[in-house]
Amino acid sequence: MGAYGAPTSHRGVNTMLSSKHFFLLPALLTLVAIILFPLLFTIRVSFSSWDVFQSGLDYIGGKNYGRVFADERFWQSLGRLSLLSLISVSLQYTLGFALALAVWKQVRGGRFLRVLFLIPMMTTPVVMSVIWRTVFHESLGPANDILGMFGIGAVPWLSSATGAFISVLIVEIWQWTPFMFLLLLAGLVSLPREPYLAAAIDGAGTWRTFWQVTFPLMAPITIGALIIRLIEASKIMDTVYVLTSGGPGTATETSSYYIYIRGLRDFQIGYSAALSLVYLVIMIVSLTVIAKLLLRLLVGKVG
Amino acid sequence: MAEIVLENLGHSYLPDPKSEADFALKPVNLTWQDGKTYALLGPSGCGKTTMLNIISGIVAPSHGRLLFDGQDVTQTPTVERNIAQVFQFPVIYSTKTVRQNLAFPLECRGVAPEQIKARVAEVATLLDLDYALDMPARRLSADQKQLISLGRGLVREDVSAILLDEPLTVIDPQMKFMLRRKLREINRETGMTMILVTHDQSEAMSFADEIVVMKDGLLQQSGTPAELFSQPQNDFVGYFIGSPPMNMITLEPRDGALGTDALDLTKKLTIGTAGSRHQLGIRPEHVSLVAADAENIGVGTIKKIEHLGVDGVVTLQLATGVLIKAKTRNHVEMSVGQTLGVNVRTDDALLYIEGSLAHAE
Repeated sequence: MGAYGAPTSHRGVNTMLSSKHFFLLPALLTLVAIILFPLLFTIRVSFSSWDVFQSGLDYIGGKNYGRVFADERFWQSLGRLSLLSLISVSLQYTLGFALALAVWKQVRGGRFLRVLFLIPMMTTPVVMSVIWRTVFHESLGPANDILGMFGIGAVPWLSSATGAFISVLIVEIWQWTPFMFLLLLAGLVSLPREPYLAAAIDGAGTWRTFWQVTFPLMAPITIGALIIRLIEASKIMDTVYVLTSGGPGTATETSSYYIYIRGLRDFQIGYSAALSLVYLVIMIVSLTVIAKLLLRLLVGKVG
Repeated sequence: MAEIVLENLGHSYLPDPKSEADFALKPVNLTWQDGKTYALLGPSGCGKTTMLNIISGIVAPSHGRLLFDGQDVTQTPTVERNIAQVFQFPVIYSTKTVRQNLAFPLECRGVAPEQIKARVAEVATLLDLDYALDMPARRLSADQKQLISLGRGLVREDVSAILLDEPLTVIDPQMKFMLRRKLREINRETGMTMILVTHDQSEAMSFADEIVVMKDGLLQQSGTPAELFSQPQNDFVGYFIGSPPMNMITLEPRDGALGTDALDLTKKLTIGTAGSRHQLGIRPEHVSLVAADAENIGVGTIKKIEHLGVDGVVTLQLATGVLIKAKTRNHVEMSVGQTLGVNVRTDDALLYIEGSLAHAE
């Protein structure tokens, strides 16, 4: 090209570039301020021994990272987080899909149900967690009260390790199923009509139609919804904070909650910076792998 | 295989249709014979897809009856109707291979595996898809996908008719031609009735034994392509079939006959319908152009010449300002502004009263 293309004067290009940059500046500055600077600063801090006794940016090499890899409590919290998010997201997906299918075809009161299903998502997480803490209260909460009517004895919802884990799961599912419902319903509504007509003519029943038509057509939306929820779920913090404070013991302590404890309770700023970065890298790698796997599983290899 | 009869069949999407205008498909009587190819032709929104969906059972008609071989199937669900339908956009089961796609309708009907295998092989040969049987269906091109959609109809041995709802719209022009020929071939080999919905007259003409022209939910005319061309029952068919459309020249009464100052051509009226609109319909193909001093029935000046490959369309302005189009191969020797004589055989000039064909002497 170049040689035969219309010649553009150097001055013209320069004016264009500078005015372009000028318009990009606000967004660029915002990005630097809220993403680039904190990230670079965290990396720098992770190589320092900044804590409550000694503040300042000294350099201690990779000591903090060495400590991370030896920190069993961190890796346990990561395992717990993986379990929690995998179970909750898959249940959210299943329930959300079922609900979306239920109100997809015109049903009586469909509009009312749609709004009703969305309420949990619109509630402030902390408020919602406080309500659930009341529900799960062992002697005063309605959960045990109702179970008592069926002769089931007081369930230690928040005071036993398994109970607390299940409680967090229930709240997570309750809060985020509506999100799945919303995304999947939007997907269902936008599906073309012909494949269903063709399936009806081919003689496919409800079950076959779902697995051969609806599910494959929904694959792109499924992948998107699952990834968004996995990212969100791996950041779980407020629910744990209000509901169990990571307890009893460390039974419901997730990675972000553990990092919070190290950073903002113990004020080991340098160490928690190293924890955060390790956590970030693990998340980026594992979510990329999961996205690739989902893509291969649901859409099949392209090309 | 079956004969399909539409008995006073109509449909309105409104719960309580009051006037004619409320009907998407106005009540119609039609018979589709077994083994023939039909085309439903009309502009968008004329009710042709509604009619097709009623036949396949996707839409239940609000009025009338639908008979397959004399049996009332008006309320029979789609699955039990033995109808195959191909849609405008190719529908394939994207997770399956071509073979699995073709086998699917038989699997749904619980046919024995060996029988499925034999049928699929047979149909694949018919469609020239043998080489692609084990490929994932989603990796084929649009026209091949459309063949799979068709194939899923063909594998079923009980199919009475194949309904094609503008199946060639998304196909490349070159492939369109091949696919259309393929459809005719399949019709000849299997003897299955085929009904093609289209808004493309050349597609309908080249595909169908019989064409049904519709407009605004109302049947306009049904007949062979030749009949539609030579005897359009009304001005719409004359306009819609043929390119360019039929010339319509308004006539005035004169001495017990009808005529115009533009052309020296009169038609006698058999019944007195004075006061209504009389027109002369002449196909551009039937207008011959001669030198201005040769024997003619009218003289005109060339206003426009359009080139269509071998043929050309010449627009002439006759006396009194009437415009007439002629399709000719001699247009290359003509030029705008030239004066030419016009000739039309009396038999080729059809009389229309209030837009519908009348029989005049």
